[in-house]
Amino acid sequence: MSTTPSDLLWELTRNNTSYLVKRKTNGGVRLSRDPLNLRNVHSRKAIGLVPSEKGGIALLTKKKTGYTNTAAYKPSKTSRKSYLHIANSTTKKGYRSDLREDAIARASALIKSYRKPVKPTKESKPRGSKAKAAQAASSSADL
Amino acid sequence: MTSVAQIQVFATDGKATDAQLALPDVFKSPIRSDIVQTVHAGMAKNKRQAYAVSVKAGHQTSAESWGTGRAVARIPRVSGGGTHRAGQAAFGNMCRSGRMFAPTKVWRRWHVKINLNQKRFATASAIAASASQPLVLSRGHRISSTPSIPLVLNTESLATVAKTREAAAILKAVGAYSDVVKVSKSKKLRAGKGKLRGRRHRQRRGPLVIYDPATDGKTISKAFRNIPGVETCPVSALNLLQLAPGGHLGRFVIWSSDAFKALDSIYGTSTSPSTVKKEYSLPSAQVTNADIGRIINSSEIQSVLRAVKGSAKSKRAGGQKKNPLTNKQVLVRLNPYAKGYAAAKLGQTKYQDGKPERAPAVFSETLKSS
Repeated sequence: MSTTPSDLLWELTRNNTSYLVKRKTNGGVRLSRDPLNLRNVHSRKAIGLVPSEKGGIALLTKKKTGYTNTAAYKPSKTSRKSYLHIANSTTKKGYRSDLREDAIARASALIKSYRKPVKPTKESKPRGSKAKAAQAASSSADL
Repeated sequence: MTSVAQIQVFATDGKATDAQLALPDVFKSPIRSDIVQTVHAGMAKNKRQAYAVSVKAGHQTSAESWGTGRAVARIPRVSGGGTHRAGQAAFGNMCRSGRMFAPTKVWRRWHVKINLNQKRFATASAIAASASQPLVLSRGHRISSTPSIPLVLNTESLATVAKTREAAAILKAVGAYSDVVKVSKSKKLRAGKGKLRGRRHRQRRGPLVIYDPATDGKTISKAFRNIPGVETCPVSALNLLQLAPGGHLGRFVIWSSDAFKALDSIYGTSTSPSTVKKEYSLPSAQVTNADIGRIINSSEIQSVLRAVKGSAKSKRAGGQKKNPLTNKQVLVRLNPYAKGYAAAKLGQTKYQDGKPERAPAVFSETLKSS
């Protein structure tokens, strides 16, 4: 039950809110811990994505009547399907369309973080003069 | 704005009841954080107790200045001999065992007078803010599993609560217990001397339970008082220090349904003054609709606005300068004839007719004759 206009809310929470993170470094950045904040920057944002426990993506949306509603879903085979799902379930359902790009960027970052690491880089096998130098170094270390 | 918002009443087991209550008008009062902050600052000062240093401190010696000529500063010095204290400087705030600078007095102005109307404004403002879910969240309360904000619980089931166990069960049922957990986790040892003065720990504030003492009974506050962070308050004596702790708006409030109903008579409505507070009527907002974007985009405003002059084309500021001699597009823009000139290859044509013919002799004669 909130009809407080967003302009007023922003004025009230601009300088002080529990989500606000102020740092003196980096030119006094003002970040936000709000799970509904897509870019984690302290500004007026509405919907958000947070990583769910299952390793998928949880879509947190705001309901008009009140509290937040979580819809967790596993990442699709292709990340493009995930993006499509996000766009379909937010922007096309009356959520703020200006946030679509941020939402997809956030999902993209999350999907990237869930990816398994690529093969470890092989150990280098030096040849020629570098091999000799390496051998000399290791033998001197033994002594 | 014609329809009155209806608030769902919940039973103590967290289930919605059939009852719905109209939102009291006090919830529509303007949310003014500046007023709340100043009133809170004043109210917080009104509990202070006087303190001061002893009037005699630093003056319990018969020191006198030695005057000039003894190659020491003219500050009063302790007389006599036989101890180390003799000859030491005294009285001044820069001296060891001297008096402090501007010794504190018990007659400092400890308390602040706050205008009654301002106090009531702040309280009404804090009540209004407690019904705004984003503001409650931004104060840091954990309300994600709470069925609604403002949260109204049925008086019939709340009045029978007498034991803390039952009270905790209610908080769990209505999704307010995560806020209590947050409070108990936040308990920290206080920094400084307050530890020795009965303020050993500090912790966050949890939900505030507001009840109607006439119908909810007296057991309710006893049942809730031992749960960390939870406070209770009778609706007839709402306190800004509880409604907006630290001057921060948006306390998580749990209302009993009777207390919720009583708000209209205590604070009055937009049409009728309060029955309890003498000649008091609620503050009204400066603008009825503070949603500026909606005002601008309304058909009333848009219909009287003239169309945008010119196109939406934006001029590129400080763009790169192009050389028209090498860039054909820029050349054409400057000299529209250049295109046709180039297409007709006029620049490449030579004089078709060879050398010009000499004028006939008649021409020369005519010219010179006159």
